[in-house]
Amino acid sequence: MLYIHQAEAISPQEIVTNKLEVKEPSYEGVPRNLLRRMGKSVRMGIGASAPILRSTPRPVSGIVIGTGNGGTADSYSFLQQMKEYGEELLTPGTFSQSTSNAMASQLSMMDQNNNYNLTHVHRGLAFEMALLDVSLLSLENERAFYLLAGVDELSPSNYALDEMEGWYPPGIVAGEGAAAFLVSGKPQNAMAAVRAVATLHSSDPEVVRKQLEKFLATHLPAGESISGFVSGENGDARLSDYYKACTTVVGPGTPVILFKKRCGEYPTASAFGLWLACQRLSGEGAGNYLIYNTYKGRQHSFILLTGIAH
Amino acid sequence: MKRVFITGMGVISAIGNTVTENHSALQNGVCGISMPPHSSPDLSKVPLAEVALNNQLLRERLQVFDPAVTRTTLLALHAFREAIQDAGLSGEEISSDRTALIGGTTVGGMSQSDELFRDVSQRYSASPFLSSYDCSSVFMFLQEQYRMKGLIDTINTACSSAGNAIGFGMRLIRSGLAERALVGGADSLSKFTISGFNALHILSPEICRPFDRSRQGLNLGEGAAFLVLEGEDTIPPGKKIYAEVTGYYNASDAFHPTSLSANGEGPYLAMQGALGTAGLKAGEIDFINAHGTATENNDESESRAMIRVFGEPPPFASTKSNTGHTLGAAAAVEAVYSLLSLEHQEIYPGLHFSAVIPGTELQPETIWRQLPLRHIMSNSFGFGGNCVSLIFSKS
Repeated sequence: MLYIHQAEAISPQEIVTNKLEVKEPSYEGVPRNLLRRMGKSVRMGIGASAPILRSTPRPVSGIVIGTGNGGTADSYSFLQQMKEYGEELLTPGTFSQSTSNAMASQLSMMDQNNNYNLTHVHRGLAFEMALLDVSLLSLENERAFYLLAGVDELSPSNYALDEMEGWYPPGIVAGEGAAAFLVSGKPQNAMAAVRAVATLHSSDPEVVRKQLEKFLATHLPAGESISGFVSGENGDARLSDYYKACTTVVGPGTPVILFKKRCGEYPTASAFGLWLACQRLSGEGAGNYLIYNTYKGRQHSFILLTGIAH
Repeated sequence: MKRVFITGMGVISAIGNTVTENHSALQNGVCGISMPPHSSPDLSKVPLAEVALNNQLLRERLQVFDPAVTRTTLLALHAFREAIQDAGLSGEEISSDRTALIGGTTVGGMSQSDELFRDVSQRYSASPFLSSYDCSSVFMFLQEQYRMKGLIDTINTACSSAGNAIGFGMRLIRSGLAERALVGGADSLSKFTISGFNALHILSPEICRPFDRSRQGLNLGEGAAFLVLEGEDTIPPGKKIYAEVTGYYNASDAFHPTSLSANGEGPYLAMQGALGTAGLKAGEIDFINAHGTATENNDESESRAMIRVFGEPPPFASTKSNTGHTLGAAAAVEAVYSLLSLEHQEIYPGLHFSAVIPGTELQPETIWRQLPLRHIMSNSFGFGGNCVSLIFSKS
C-alpha cells in the first residue's frame, strides 16, 4: 500500500478553442533567475512540487517524475536555433532545459537533495511507471517519504504533431498540467492510499477488460466495490470501446468522473486523475476509486485508490 | 533478497556490431572514433564514433523497412536480438507477462530531428515521424515486434539512463513483479545532440583522452546494448550465467544542470551506495569501468570521488576512448564490457592517455592485461546530476 499524504496540482483554468491551458501562477518562493531559464513543463512541475518539498522537514528520500514529452517547446526552439545559425553560435539553455530529466534535476538542486532521482518517459504510461517505482521504493524503505509527480506541457510543436496524426478531431480538447504527491509506506495522516497500479500495451478492448477483471480480483478486497470510476475518456469515438469495456467490469451504475473535462488530453493526464480522486476520497473517507486511462488506444493503466477513514 | 543474474547480452557500437566483435576490438585497443566522421561528414566538424552499419544496411539485416523506425530503434533492435538469442529465450518467454522490458535513451526518435523539424514547420501530416520522435518510440517498437505483455518502461536520466534501466529491471525481479527483465539502452548520433553538446563547449576537437591532464572534452558516439536479467529461481540448471548484478545505486549530485560538483558528491554517493547494496567493502572492487567522458569537469570530479571512496582506487579505465560517449546507451554498453572482463578475466585499457591530472594523480590502465576479477564497478553520470553505479560480480 502506498500512502498519499499531500497532493498538489497545477491544472488548466481556461480553454482557448480546443486547448485547455494553464495560466501560470507567480511561483512564489522559486528563485526568479531560475524561473526565467525554465521551460513551462519544468515551471509547472516545480510549482506543484515546491509546496510538498517545503512541507517536509528533511529532503525527501527520492524524487520520481513521469513526463511523456519533457520540454517540447525548448526542443523545438533549439531546433529553430540550429536552423537559423547552423552548428555554431548556439546557446545551450534551451538544449539543457529540453531534456526530460530537467525538472527532476532542478528539484534536486532546489531541495539540496542527493537522494534517488529518476525520470520515467514512457509516453502515456510515464506517470504510472513513476508511481510503480515509488511503490517499490516505499516497500524497500517503509519509513521514507518520496516526491512523485507527473507533468507535461502543451506546446505548439507537440500539439501540431498530435493534431497532424489526427488526435484532435472536433470536440477533443488538448491539455497540460502537473500533479505532485508526497507518498510513503506509512499510513499516519494519509489522505488516501494506492492499493495497486497496472499497465498494459494492447489495441484490443477485450484484453483490457480481462486485465481489469484480473486486476480487481487481485487487489480489491473481497466484499468491496468500486465507488467511483475516474475515467480518462476524452470523447474520442475511437477510444470509447476501451472505456465501455471497463464500465462493464466496474458496473454500469458506478458514478463516473470524467477528469479530462478539467485537464484535457496529455500523456501524464492520469496524474491529474489521481489528484482529483485523492481530493474526493479524502473528503469521503472510505471507498475505492478506479482510475482507468488509455493513451491513444495503445497504452492503458489502472490505478486503484482507496480512502482512509480517520 | 532474490539474486539477479545476467544470462544474455548484445551490443552494437562503433567498435563492433556484436559482442564478439566488440570483445576483440577491446582486446586490441581499437578506437572507433574518427575524424572526420566517415559515413556522415555533414553531421559535424568534430570527431564522432559511428556504428559502421548505415541505416540501409541495418534495415536489410533486421528486415525493418518502415520509415517511421528511426536509427536509434534499429540499433536497439540489433542489440536486443543478439541478447535474446544469446540467452536462448523462446518467443513465449519474451512475450510472457512475467518478462519486463526497460530501456534508457536520451535521443530516442529525435535522431530524425531535421526531418521532424521540416515536417512540423510545413505541417506535413504524412510524415512518418509524427509518433516516433519521443524516447519511448524505441522500446514501444520492441514491445510491438515481440508482442510483449509484461511491464514496459522508458527511462531518461541523460547519460545514466541505461544504468537506471538495469537497476529498475533488477528491482522489478527482486520484488517479484517480473521473472526476467530485458534491460538496456540505445542512442544514435543526431544533429540535435551534437549541436547541444557543441553549444555547451564540451566536444573535443580531437580524439578524446579520458583522465589525461590535457583532455579537451568528449566525443559523441552511438550504440545500443541489452542484458537479459533473470531471477535465481527461474534460471534452469546448466544455463550459462555471465555474472550477478549485486550493486545498484542512484544518487543525485544536486549541483548544476550540466556539470558535476568539484568533489564529486553524486558520484561518491552512487559508488558508496552500490557497495552498500552489494554488501561489499571498497577494497573488494577489482576494477572500475569509469564514466570517464574526458571532459575537464567529469574526469576530475570522478577522480576525486573515487579517491574519497577507495583511498587508493583499484585499476580503472574508460572505454569511451574506444566507443565515444554513447549517452543513454553508455551504461548498458559498458555493462557488456564489464561482463566480458569478468568472463575472460582481463581488463581493457583506456586509450590516448599520456599524463595524470595534477592534484588527483590517478593513472588509468593503459595496456590490456589479465587479472583475477571478482567484482567490477561501472559508473555512469548524467546531466542533471543523475549518478548511477552498478556492480557486477562473478558468480
